[in-house]
Amino acid sequence: MKKTLMCTVAAFTLATSAAQAEGITVLVEGGGHSLQQAVADAFTKETGIEVTFVEVPYQGVYDKLSAEIASGTSNYDVATIDVVWNAAFAPHVEDLSELFTEAVKADLPPALLADANVGGEMIGMPTWANAEIVFYRKDLWEDPANQAAFKEQYGYDLAPPATWQQWRDMAKFFTKDGMYGTDVIGGTSEEWMAEVLQAGSPGVILDDSGNVILDNPAHIEALENYRAPLCEDKSVPDNALEISWGEAQNLFYQGQTAMMKFWAHAYRMTPEDSKIAGKVGVAPMIGGSAGIAGIPGPWYNVIPSSSQHKDAARQFIAYAIAHNALGIEAPLGLAATNSAYQSYMGKPGYEHFGPLMATLSAPATKGRPLNQHYQELVDEAVMPAFQGALECEDNVAELLQEAAATARDILGQ
Amino acid sequence: MGERRFVLLMLMPAALFLGFLVSYPVALLVYNSFFEVSLIDPSSRVWVGLANYVDALTSKRILESALRTLKYSAFALFFELLFGLGAALLFAAIAKRSQWHRTIFALPLMISPIVAGLLWRFLLVGNIGILNYGLAALGVIPDPGAIKWLSDTDIVIYSVAAADIWLTTSFVALVSYAGLTNIPQDVLEAARIDGTNAVTRFWYVTLPMLRPVLAVVVVVRGIDALKTFDLIWIQTQGGPRQASEVLSMNIYQRMVRYGDLGQASATATLFLVFMIGLAGLAYWKVWRTGND
Amino acid sequence: MTSRGPHDLGKTIINAGALLLVLSYALPYVYLVSTALKPAADVQQIPPSFFPNRVTLENFATVVTTAGLPQAFLNSAVVAVLTTLLSLLIAVPAAYVSALYRRRLTVLFLLFALVTRMVPAVSLGVPLFQIMKTLGLLDTTLGLVLAHTSAAVPLALLLMSAFFESIPKELEEAARMDGCTRFGAFLHIVLPLMPSGLAITALFSFIASWNEFLFALLLTSQNGKTAPIVIAEFNSVYGLAWGPMTAAAVLYSLPVILVTLILQKQIVGGLTFGAVKG
Repeated sequence: MKKTLMCTVAAFTLATSAAQAEGITVLVEGGGHSLQQAVADAFTKETGIEVTFVEVPYQGVYDKLSAEIASGTSNYDVATIDVVWNAAFAPHVEDLSELFTEAVKADLPPALLADANVGGEMIGMPTWANAEIVFYRKDLWEDPANQAAFKEQYGYDLAPPATWQQWRDMAKFFTKDGMYGTDVIGGTSEEWMAEVLQAGSPGVILDDSGNVILDNPAHIEALENYRAPLCEDKSVPDNALEISWGEAQNLFYQGQTAMMKFWAHAYRMTPEDSKIAGKVGVAPMIGGSAGIAGIPGPWYNVIPSSSQHKDAARQFIAYAIAHNALGIEAPLGLAATNSAYQSYMGKPGYEHFGPLMATLSAPATKGRPLNQHYQELVDEAVMPAFQGALECEDNVAELLQEAAATARDILGQ
Repeated sequence: MGERRFVLLMLMPAALFLGFLVSYPVALLVYNSFFEVSLIDPSSRVWVGLANYVDALTSKRILESALRTLKYSAFALFFELLFGLGAALLFAAIAKRSQWHRTIFALPLMISPIVAGLLWRFLLVGNIGILNYGLAALGVIPDPGAIKWLSDTDIVIYSVAAADIWLTTSFVALVSYAGLTNIPQDVLEAARIDGTNAVTRFWYVTLPMLRPVLAVVVVVRGIDALKTFDLIWIQTQGGPRQASEVLSMNIYQRMVRYGDLGQASATATLFLVFMIGLAGLAYWKVWRTGND
Repeated sequence: MTSRGPHDLGKTIINAGALLLVLSYALPYVYLVSTALKPAADVQQIPPSFFPNRVTLENFATVVTTAGLPQAFLNSAVVAVLTTLLSLLIAVPAAYVSALYRRRLTVLFLLFALVTRMVPAVSLGVPLFQIMKTLGLLDTTLGLVLAHTSAAVPLALLLMSAFFESIPKELEEAARMDGCTRFGAFLHIVLPLMPSGLAITALFSFIASWNEFLFALLLTSQNGKTAPIVIAEFNSVYGLAWGPMTAAAVLYSLPVILVTLILQKQIVGGLTFGAVKG
């Protein structure tokens, strides 16, 4: 598989490299820089094309790229963008369909291919992908006393949680000794969105034809389940609305929570001198009636239409996907292709790749809607209902109906 | 040189500079407000007349965030003036030895606002932040999760103002102090010789002479407080349930995050007109009376 | 000065009050420094501790080896100094005539300056980007200095005109009778009386530029990148490096402490017009 890919690229490279020695400029966030530096070095060595990274803070990628596009010409030949911006930039970037050879397509999880496809064009090439998986404290789960007590209380063996019910049971069980079972994040809604898919919804917020389904039974059921540890079980810190990714991760690192759902890259980022270093276990994302499902967090390489070095940019993108595994040695340790992940499978320190792959390629896993108004839908419709539900009143369906009405209003439906 | 020519020449550099770098963006802002136009693709635009203004003026969201902006600004401004002016008077009382005091007092100004925002978020967040642990240790609150500074919709708009107050009280204090030092000593001396007490001297001599400086402080700080959004954005992103969303955050979201340049420009223009009105009022009432 | 009992007591109370105020005000800053000195596992410890359990310089080591940070510090310093000088150069003469030659034109001008301060920064970003692009000033120090100056001039104007207001018009008239031109009176007679005002105006022009984020983000990319952008990069989507970020913020505040100390020396009382006239 890897060989065919490389040959395709080599042919492509030979055809165009005679042209001229040039350079390309790549707009990236910090993560995109570190994950692509190695591949850029190899690319320069092979083609003579210099790659210059312009690194900016997260929001800066969007701000700078829109300013460049709005002004008509662009200094950037490639930009590495978050999937949530794909739809917004789609009309202003090159169609990369020709780079999606059969070999490339076969090597990528379907959800990542779907997210690249905006209006029938493949507007970006995945660079790496991420998804939330389950993190738990191996030491607690493997403790015989806990195992016995859990079995007695809940009637089944203590193992990493795989279902909604097990998640709630284990969160309740480990809420003891000044520790919470887990956390409920109220600052962002992606984790709930994953549960919406687990509940069998055909999509999050919108279905494939763009209709608002924010108030369908799966959305309601998932929100009821998502808030249950907070509202019914009291197995999480009660200031959920103040908890966002950073706080959730920190609570786990500080030994305050026994398990969390979190983005897979965190597996390699536990501080060495932390209380829980060496005690972290990982498992695939939990599943609901539709089985395992996650919200992928991929990034894409796109070529702004205003780029002056489109050929070189295409070469770089093709090269980067063919040598996708080169990024794994970077601190974040992420990649996009199956073959890249497989090449590290079984290596110590990469135990999270199995669960990540299982989550990314689960049939119910699906990206967030590729809609130009996605950000507005989330900020204006989803978040108020989502955060309202975390105040634990009996009104989940009502809140989501209101949110759906707001969403239809935004989309002019 | 004629007086008129002298005035014009002295004004010229500033007028040209601001005219060049600020007038164009402002004109563009007003122009965009009459169109349906996206941030990323400004070349394709549709004239919609006053529709954006009608939308803005009839939006409950915008009205709510406008009122919240006023609450936030009044709260922040009140404490900034109280603490700032108080500190300036204290510094003036210890005069020469206050150099280090004033430098320490300026420390918040030296931190990147993004770090300051995060710092305050981490100070305030319940169960994690040190503020609640401190209050719990002192017995003021029963446990470190008792006050949800950033997630209680009733208080969050005031909690997020704490960072603003901390960051900008220095400005009020240092400018007021410089204003105090600028008051001619012979005037104060004359008042002292007349046998007036400290309070009377402050009220009838110091305060009137400080008025131009104070007026500028109030106007500038007022405008900045009305415009604040990055500090709040870092702390809460306007949440929970938009309870800490202020008007300029609304404009930012609409313009940048949603790319809706036309609608955002209309809101921004209305905001600008409102502030000009407010500043005009402040000028006629406070500033002008001192000079004519 | 003769010492009197109640007076001394009053002074002690004032001194103690000032110290208490200043110290409590500085607490969040001290906490920032203390966080920067904590090892990775403790920077966001729960329950939090005010002081580090173990002091380490690892965060500072990370910061000084961060690629591009020394250059960014230098860029920030150059931009802030140039912005300060340019703002004063442009704003002070205008502020002078606005205060001492008050007429409808100058009042309108001050209001105009005020209006430019009111414009939401987010709506200035993209048009400024276009202007700088047209002028070929993207990613240059000069481009960013111009942008920062456009933000600093209104404040400098308003502040300086307020300080000039305490100057009696008679002073200028007297100077001119002694043979000064209007400009000479401004430069040689009035301006030297304004150390406090100039120092405070310079300080805030400097700080505004030193910490500015949005324009720096949009207008610079590699060569002209300033430190606030690099500091913000410690907060990535994959996690917040709070230890290094606080360390960078502390290091970044040190030059300003120096600038503040230098400028504070200029803020002294004791202005007497009698002395000037004599």
